[in-house]
Amino acid sequence: MECAELLQYLSEYIDNNLDEELTAEAQAHLATCANCKVVLDTTQQTIFLYKQQEPRKIPARRRRRLFNQLQDAFLKRPESS
Amino acid sequence: MIDERDLIAALRQKDPHAFATLFDAYSDKLFGLAVGLLHDEDEAEGVVQEAFLRLFEGLDKFEGRSRLGTWLYRVAYNASIDRLRKRRPTRPLADELDAGDDSLPMPAIFTDWSSAPEPLFASAEAHAELERAVARLPESLRAVFILREMEGLSTTETAEVLGINTGAVKVRLHRARLLLREHLSGYFAERVAAGGN
Ligand SMILES: [Zn+2]
Repeated sequence: MECAELLQYLSEYIDNNLDEELTAEAQAHLATCANCKVVLDTTQQTIFLYKQQEPRKIPARRRRRLFNQLQDAFLKRPESS
Repeated sequence: MIDERDLIAALRQKDPHAFATLFDAYSDKLFGLAVGLLHDEDEAEGVVQEAFLRLFEGLDKFEGRSRLGTWLYRVAYNASIDRLRKRRPTRPLADELDAGDDSLPMPAIFTDWSSAPEPLFASAEAHAELERAVARLPESLRAVFILREMEGLSTTETAEVLGINTGAVKVRLHRARLLLREHLSGYFAERVAAGGN
């Protein structure tokens, strides 16, 4: 496997979606190619940093207002038959 | 967790607790997607409102063929894209321009910052940089990245929300990851080199 091919398969490799043969080829390449190893490690770290970000929340005042508006609309909707 | 059929049945009965459950379960998630795409909290709030109102209108007809969350995300995504188009009606969205381009972003920075000391990643500045990096992605990649990596949707769910096939989701996620890696490498590599260690 060469660098270009490894780059192509990188996400599938990270997500464990490659078959055994391609996984072995990717590992063999990574063992000898410092640049690809760095790209792998830093891509994994990138994913990790985003995964551990606090989920975004609606700011409290905005959330309360939105809740009240929608609750009104919800309660006023015509009765289902 | 909430049983969706029970929740939908209770919503049809105008049960106020069911509304509160629905709102708590999805409002932040929809807001996260909308603000990620629009970078405007007022507009994002409008999108969340629109998604819930559309659900209320369609409640009697909601068949549960897709999950409630997926359905809401899809409405919120489409509403966000509509708003983006209205902002700049003469220019196509960035991803329509490069839709036919399947070349991968080539890595150009090979500094290993992945095992830098923890405080480097925990700073407010680093967090702002993570946000900036996502904001720079073309919309189509950004939507996939937010849904898959930050909201934790599956490939299939993401495909359903965006109205594309699972293969396209995978390709876009891959491109998004590489672009983000490059952006963050520019930021962190400098700081590792500056002797953060
Ligand atoms: Zn290589």
